[in-house]
Order: sequence, then C-alpha cells, then structure tokens
Amino acid sequence: MISLPTRVADWRLMGRTARLVLGGPGYALVGLAAAAVALTGLVLSQNLPFTADALAGRVPASALLELYPFVGTSYSLLTGSVVVLVALLVGVDIALVAYHVREHRLSAEGGGGSLVGVVLGTLGAGCAACGSAVLAGLLSLFGAAGVLTLLPLDGLEFALLSLAALVLSIYWLADGMRGGEIRGCPVDLQK
Amino acid sequence: MTLDPTGRTSRRAILAGGVSLLGAGCLGNGESGDGGSGDGDAPSLADHPVGQNLAAQPRLGPDPAEATGVIVAFEDPSCPRCAAFEEVTVPKIKSELVDPGDAAYVVRTVPLVYPWGEPAIHALEATYARDAGAFWTLLGHYFAEQDAFGPDNVLDRTESFLSTETSIDASAVVADAETEAYASAVETDLAASEAADVSGTPTVFLFRDGDYRTRVTGSVSFNLVTQALGL
Repeated sequence: MISLPTRVADWRLMGRTARLVLGGPGYALVGLAAAAVALTGLVLSQNLPFTADALAGRVPASALLELYPFVGTSYSLLTGSVVVLVALLVGVDIALVAYHVREHRLSAEGGGGSLVGVVLGTLGAGCAACGSAVLAGLLSLFGAAGVLTLLPLDGLEFALLSLAALVLSIYWLADGMRGGEIRGCPVDLQK
Repeated sequence: MTLDPTGRTSRRAILAGGVSLLGAGCLGNGESGDGGSGDGDAPSLADHPVGQNLAAQPRLGPDPAEATGVIVAFEDPSCPRCAAFEEVTVPKIKSELVDPGDAAYVVRTVPLVYPWGEPAIHALEATYARDAGAFWTLLGHYFAEQDAFGPDNVLDRTESFLSTETSIDASAVVADAETEAYASAVETDLAASEAADVSGTPTVFLFRDGDYRTRVTGSVSFNLVTQALGL
C-alpha cells in the first residue's frame, strides 16, 4: 500500500533522514552537486540555442549566468523560488538515493518515486518559466487547449506538482530507511 | 479564426513538450531555424527568417540596416513573461540602446499563449496601420493591464482605451480587428516565427553589425542583451 506523509511524524522523519544523510560531507557534496546540476539543467535546457552559442564563443559565456533565477530577470520571485526549491529537493533526493543504494537495499518504490520527482521537476519548472506555450500543446493532445485558461498560475502548477512529487519521493526513501541507522543514529525515533 | 489551420504551431509545441518530458526543457529549441546557431555560420539579418519584411514592422530606433545592434522580439500581448520583459528590460533597451542610436528594437507579435492575444494582435496591426505611436501605446496598455483582459472584453476595452488615449479612430480599429482586415500582417509575423522555430514568448533575436548573434527565450535581462550584443 502507498503511504503518504500525512502526519507530523512523517515530516519529522523526512527532515531527520535528510539531516543525517547530508550531515556526511560526502553525501552533502553529492546533494549540492546534484542540486547545481539540476538547477543548471532546468535553466539552460530552456535556451539550448543560446547555451550552444555561449559554449561556441559566439556570445560571452558569462551571459549564461543571466539565465539563472535571482541573477537575471527570466524568473519571477515566485517561479524562481520554486525552481530553486525544486533543484534543492532534487539534491536532497539524489543524496538520499545515493545513500540508500550504498548503505541499504534500495526499494523499487522509493527509486521510482525519485525518478518521477526528477522528471516532473524538469517538466514543471520549465513550463512555469516559458509562458505556458508548451502547456497549451500538451493540453491540446487531449483536445482541451482551453483548459490553459483554467490554470491561474500560468503553468506554475506543474512546478508545484513536481515539488509534491519530490517530497513524496523523499518520504518514500526515508520510509524505506525506517528501522535502519545513518552514521550510527537511528532513522526513526518512534517506537 | 484559426491562425494556423494546418496546426503546425501546435504540433511543434507538442514536440517541444515531448522533449521536455525527456528533460530537455519545454521550449522549442529549433536547430534549423535559429540561424545556424553554434556552427560558426552566422546569417545576415537580411537572410535570417526574422529579418523578412522587417521594414514593415513596428520599430524603435535607427534603421536596422544601419544600426550596430538589432533586437527583434516575438511577443504575445497575453504572455505574462512578455509583460515582465516589457516592464523590466525594454525600458533600459529604449533608454540605453535605442535612444543613443546604438540599436534598433523591433516587435513582431504572435498569438501563442492565451486566446485573447489573437484579437489583440489583430487590433495592434490595425492600429499600427494607422499610427505607429498608437501601436506602442496600445501594446504597453495590453502588458500593463494584462489581468483585466479576456476573449470577451479585449476588443471593447481596446476601443475604450484607444478612444481616450489616442487620436485614431478606435471604432474603425476594432471593426478591422473583428473582420481581421489585417490578417496578412498577422500571418507575416506568424510565418516568420514558424520559419525561425519560435514556440515560446518572448523570444528575442539579436543581431550585431547586420549578422545573427544569438536567440534567447524568456524575460531576459538587459545585461544579457548587452553582453550578447557586445554593446
């Protein structure tokens, strides 16, 4: 049965598990690197021609920084915050997956949740930033292009959905580690 | 009216969506239509798809054929990120690049985001045919009051605004928008956007000394524009 983080104790479990895993310098580095890669991927994937031009030297590479949230103006405060949060959660997620794979047996449920979270994060953050054009295309697949007008956040809904998926993924990973120990500390303090 | 009865825009958007599902983002990052991006073969403004019929487009600043920098922006009046681009970046483009004569700023409109953008674009073309100044005033109004517009009120609000804020015949503009009298002008921009693989707005094409430099999508910063143009 699929369990959901519905209790305060579940959120404490996620927080404690993430803290314990990221408390190890190696896994913190993995998480930070994954977050940076995720943020870079989310940001640059929306402007591949510009990225290619920067890498080819047609425009200064430093101009790429202007595509990032809070550096340039491509993202609103809200969208930029969500994109950064998605990237940070991807970092936590990857660190947990790495720990789980190395130290414990990775459950299929937790691994699948992570993949869904990462894919949804990419899709969601991208669509939140691009002005919903592709969202209209996706919805038209189902003959419901007008549904776009029912999305009051201009596509940010997808990024928020990705946040939920990442949280679920982290919860399932933490749940999978329940009963174990991380660096000598019990994951679950509940009896 | 369906601007593209063949559905080409939708198919491209769907394709881009499919790409994004694989993790490459949600915009159409056309390889063929970006003017030889990244291959060292930069086409001239005259040869590039976005440079076609440029003289007939709304423009601020010097003649693109003589300007050091040329900025061609594809925008949809109903696009929220276009509104942000117009609010934050375009004023600096005007004051620091256009006014000193260093760059020309050209707008081409495409209906990609919300349904009310399409009649708004017809109204914009009808306005531009009468008075270029009124075009910029109306475009600014659409972006500034974006949340107030919808498919049911866009032309009524347009007529009301034009009649109070400009000297052109507002009712004639709205009549032309309703009958799509300037559909060919709308189609010209749409054709240019398709030839250049524009599937998101705002998409900005940058040219330096008459040659294609790069393209970028989103409400990009003024710094990015100046760095890319070397201005």
